[in-house]
Amino acid sequence: MLFLQLVINGLQVGALYALIAVGFSLIFGATKIFHFAHGATFTIAAYVFYSLYSVQEVHWVLSALVAGLAAVLFGVFLDKCVYAPIQRHEGSFFTLFVASLGCGIIVQNLIGIIFGRGFVSVTTPLSQSVELFPGLFVSPLSGIAIICAVLAFAVLQTFLMKTHIGMALRSLSENPELIRVYGLSPRQLSSIVFALGSLLVVPAAILSAASSGLNPAMSHHIMLISLAATIVGGVGSLRGAAYAGLLLGMSENIALLYLGPQWSEAVTFIVLFLFIMFRPAGFFGRAIAS
Amino acid sequence: MNNNSQDILLRISNLEKNFGGLKVTNNVSLDLRAGIVTTLVGPNGAGKTTLFNLITGHLTPNSGDILWKGKSIVGRPHWKLARDGIARTFQDLRLFNQMTVEENILTVMEPISWVWQPGGARKKQERQEKVAEILEKTKLASKAKERALDLSYAERKFLSMARIMASDAQMWLLDEPASGLDRSSYELFLNLLKDEVKKGVTVCIIEHNLDIVVGISDRIAFLDQGKLLADGEPDVVLKDPHLAAIYFGEQTS
Amino acid sequence: MAAYIINLITLMSINAILAVTLNFIMGYAGIYSMAHAIFFGVGAYTAAFVALNFSASFFIAFPIAIIVAAILSLILALPALRVRGEYFVAASLGLQVLGVTIFSEWKSFTGGLGGIIGIPPVEIFTYEVINPLEFMLLSLVCLLLIVGYIAVLSKTSFGRNLKAIRDSESAAYALGKNVAIIKTLSVVISSSLAAVAGALYAVYLGFINVESFTLDTSVLLMAMVIIGGAGTMLGPIFGTVILMLLPSLFSYMWFLPQTEIGSIQQIAYGAAMVLLMIFRPGGLVGSSKKQEAK
Repeated sequence: MLFLQLVINGLQVGALYALIAVGFSLIFGATKIFHFAHGATFTIAAYVFYSLYSVQEVHWVLSALVAGLAAVLFGVFLDKCVYAPIQRHEGSFFTLFVASLGCGIIVQNLIGIIFGRGFVSVTTPLSQSVELFPGLFVSPLSGIAIICAVLAFAVLQTFLMKTHIGMALRSLSENPELIRVYGLSPRQLSSIVFALGSLLVVPAAILSAASSGLNPAMSHHIMLISLAATIVGGVGSLRGAAYAGLLLGMSENIALLYLGPQWSEAVTFIVLFLFIMFRPAGFFGRAIAS
Repeated sequence: MNNNSQDILLRISNLEKNFGGLKVTNNVSLDLRAGIVTTLVGPNGAGKTTLFNLITGHLTPNSGDILWKGKSIVGRPHWKLARDGIARTFQDLRLFNQMTVEENILTVMEPISWVWQPGGARKKQERQEKVAEILEKTKLASKAKERALDLSYAERKFLSMARIMASDAQMWLLDEPASGLDRSSYELFLNLLKDEVKKGVTVCIIEHNLDIVVGISDRIAFLDQGKLLADGEPDVVLKDPHLAAIYFGEQTS
Repeated sequence: MAAYIINLITLMSINAILAVTLNFIMGYAGIYSMAHAIFFGVGAYTAAFVALNFSASFFIAFPIAIIVAAILSLILALPALRVRGEYFVAASLGLQVLGVTIFSEWKSFTGGLGGIIGIPPVEIFTYEVINPLEFMLLSLVCLLLIVGYIAVLSKTSFGRNLKAIRDSESAAYALGKNVAIIKTLSVVISSSLAAVAGALYAVYLGFINVESFTLDTSVLLMAMVIIGGAGTMLGPIFGTVILMLLPSLFSYMWFLPQTEIGSIQQIAYGAAMVLLMIFRPGGLVGSSKKQEAK
């Protein structure tokens, strides 16, 4: 029963990780930018929601929308005002990474100053667990998380397969010049990618706020998961990132059971190392020659 | 030139490479003989650079084989191949930008990973002399202490050549080494290449500039959409109207 | 006042050693490691262990710390460096997180979360270096030796190999360089020298715990190198001095909330990193010329 409990928790967490990971993978796969500030996007969305819903007692739909807007604005802002200028003059992988890192640090500390460094959480009736069976506690949030993730992926899939912009996006990483065929420039499309990728973390941020609470340092953890899931899933494969996010959520919870909380984050990295060492292509990625 | 008496240094047999559904290299077979200059021509996207990447191991073929001096080299890491005699240049040069011209050339002669190169002071002196020699030949002597980043376009192209000259390789794969050069520069380049070929280097060169193609080639291989359409003497290949249509049709579109 | 300055200089030299050694792999080889603090920790814990249990001699504790760090980095680098640089960043991030967990859990060696206390002062030929001024000199000497060593190394063929890899790994590879081995060697050198900083830190404070070896520290070290100027000799030292003066600087600004100095400091160097990458990627000391896109 304990095992089942952990599976359910793992699925809930995994669903959220999958969302975050796909957001990052989308951005990285299309733009090749190591968007370290993705964790900061998550934190911003979560805290905006928290401050509106829990502190100001604004209706949750409005709070969610504003949180989504904040995330998207942040992502696009970084693309246009930080990454674009760098790409214009040099654009090396590491320069972009360092700039992104710097942004992440700024956001994390600003939030720490504004909201304090401790844990805060959003309490909703939905976070209350219900004892389905003896020893098995499930909160409606688990179900919501999974449904949200599935819905988001379905919408994303449709968008990528059926719309013009979606198709242009898929060719961004392979052949940037092809985009002009769709009447868009690589720069415009890059902003769209950032908007989309950042939007994907919003449901995960809100649900996380409700289920496990927030603190400014969580951006690190989110970033680590995004990175690990993107690599394990295979760079360029959104499907892979989603499955990998799920896998990491599960393994984190199972590690919780057998190794204790201190090791659960470490387990994510052991999984990452094993993949980097033995199968750098991940689940579905193309093998990359060194 | 009696081709039959020349040794086959590199033999490409039935090489295939797919990317997804796209066959970028389609059943290509080509022999590169010692001392012969082979030019790869063809429209953009024909798979010329891909062929180089397959030879050097940057890409792994889906099927087919590549033999260097009789032994299969598929799967061998490129750095080992480089030490074994195949060196290449890149279309985008990939110079060591923050290093000086001198250092760019010198470092090619220092592949050993330990802190000091073997051979002591005498070898060091030899290397210095060779650097000076190469600087002279590529007309870069006056820019020896400048950063590669600060050179003009033509100088950077020549530095790319200088690096490969320093590599002491038996076979050079040159990827568009003269593209974008003005007339006097590419005449200089042509003479430089001719000198090196006279000394025994085997060259395979991807080139669009017809003057160079005509001026240096012993053989021409024509690629289009991953397929080898022709492989023979320059007169024969260049006069083929069918190939000209493909080549020039592409150029003007 | 004098005590304050001596302490500051000592800590600066220890951090400068870390920055200079990180620069060796970041600025000269193009290897971005987010796990440098771990080797700082390995050096500290090893030196502490040796000093507490065997000998506090400089000539025993320090070399052992160096060797342990070298072996550890060799084991880690050999597989990790076979993959592209971008993946290495991820792997090093993972190593940092993993390392902190190990430091926190391995109670017998690291004292767990509580850390190790009562580390004896270091001895040079049985003379205990307790006097802060003398220790400051010792740290400065270590810093100078390491800087000197790296300066010499960068002028050799090994240094050129590293720079070639940094400037264009694919070209270096295509021209016969065994990139994996060269990178591994540079990581081993960098990590083992970082351990010296750890050893100095341990015997200076007499007390160490895992808080000093976290991701925040690795990021701060990276900031020092980048802000000062990666790939230059003076850059990292300059970066260290500036970043270590920041807290004092901020505490003088009476209009800033004193409790938030730590955060403000981080915001400052975060912002510096972003602005520098946009306008002057070479850092404060580095050249202002921008490298063209590869």
